Amino acid sequence: MDVALYGVGTSTSFAKQQDRHPNELVWQAVTEALAAAQTDPRSLDAVFLGTVFGAPGVAQRALHALGIVDVPIITLENACASGTTALHEAVTAVSMDRFDTVLALGVEKMTDQFAGAIHPESTDIEGRSGLALPSLYAMAATRYQALYGVTDIDLASVAVKNHGHAVHNPRAQYRTPHTVEEVLASRMIADPLTLMQCCPIADGAGAAVVGRRRPSRAEVVVRSTVLRSGGLWDHRSEHVWGYELIRRTAHAAYEEAGVGPEDVDVIECHDAFTIGEIVTSEALGFAAEGQGHELLRRGHTQLGGPQPINPSGGLLSRGHPLGATGLAQTAEIAWQLMGQAAGRQVEGARVGVVETMGGGVAGIDGNACVIVILEAVGA
Amino acid sequence: MTTTPDPRPAITSSDGGSALHGWRCGTCRHPMLWSSPRCPECGSDMRSERFGPGGTVWSSTVVRVAVPGRTPPYAMAYVDLDDGPRVLAHVAGPPQRLSVGARVTLTSPGPHGDVMVEEVR
Repeated sequence: MDVALYGVGTSTSFAKQQDRHPNELVWQAVTEALAAAQTDPRSLDAVFLGTVFGAPGVAQRALHALGIVDVPIITLENACASGTTALHEAVTAVSMDRFDTVLALGVEKMTDQFAGAIHPESTDIEGRSGLALPSLYAMAATRYQALYGVTDIDLASVAVKNHGHAVHNPRAQYRTPHTVEEVLASRMIADPLTLMQCCPIADGAGAAVVGRRRPSRAEVVVRSTVLRSGGLWDHRSEHVWGYELIRRTAHAAYEEAGVGPEDVDVIECHDAFTIGEIVTSEALGFAAEGQGHELLRRGHTQLGGPQPINPSGGLLSRGHPLGATGLAQTAEIAWQLMGQAAGRQVEGARVGVVETMGGGVAGIDGNACVIVILEAVGA
Repeated sequence: MTTTPDPRPAITSSDGGSALHGWRCGTCRHPMLWSSPRCPECGSDMRSERFGPGGTVWSSTVVRVAVPGRTPPYAMAYVDLDDGPRVLAHVAGPPQRLSVGARVTLTSPGPHGDVMVEEVR
């Protein structure tokens, strides 16, 4: 795939920023991405925006002030994977010669929508029955505890690891290290998941400028990007919700990129809840099914280990502004591959994986999963 | 929060226990709890069917966080109904998780009209 990320950016913070207009969040992310890309906003040919709860016209409302007008602006919704869906569409559009230079954008002002847990749509059995989203992941955690001997401490270890990473990420919402005891002593949300095992809501934006590979420059190249929706999840499904969708998407992404899990140096994945990272680390091929918690026990996925997962602190520390999350993850991997991740830098990182998983629809094992494989390529 | 129509399966209770109204494919026998124009597996016509009352717990949790219109805590479980679909149910009794693999039976609907199960001991 002959497509590169020219530049990435995010809002300066992912805190709960109730008093901040969504325009400001977008301006921060886009301005940073355009500057890094050395791209004039007037040279953009199109914009793909990912947002879940954004008001109608949220992109146009922010972008005209930056001089981004008179181009196609396309808004996409894919639950938690909306931001990476926008990136996927931007990359695909460039690779198919539909556009030359494209802005992928994600924004979410969560504090205008929720005070606490997200609950699924009431048009669905799950939502109407009172299943808050944390409880969907809690069901997976209970199953893993019964089948694979995953302990409460294993679950808490994900939060401890990622909060430890976030100490070095000035844009993260929570930057305080925590112990297993603290994580387990926090309020129970949905058994066995405690509050500190659930990502906080956040307001934020992320952006990436996407264009054709320029062989004369050292760049972050997109080796592959794959977007899938979930298969039927029903009485025949042995795997927990999401596992099979991520596994299939990862398989396709590795195949298209011509790399395997063993070639990956750094990963940003969807740790909306601690169990999510454990399941995802298996579905991405870093451990056999039911063995993801062993990666944590060995320190395999912590900074300094062979394959760090969520060096940014992940969703658990950054917070989860749904539409912005995928592009925040992408920005982190791009910075890692360019050696710009400062105190959380994975030394010598060359190949990185971004994975986002969105859900909420009953009857399938996910609304959408996007996996993007990036590589630092010299001039 | 409510919408019309209610997406949850209809429940019938009698002396023989409770049953859920659903559909089963006339050709491949795929069972479902929501109506669909045709079988998602093979495309054949779906026929009305009742499922339950027995089932096995696939997984379980206790919801302790506020959800609009609900008072936490309450226990929930995914239950694989015998020869039927997997259903999300509320659990009768104290708010605690059921063991994976535990046997349950459908009861009459809960106060909010939810599918409800109780453990068979």
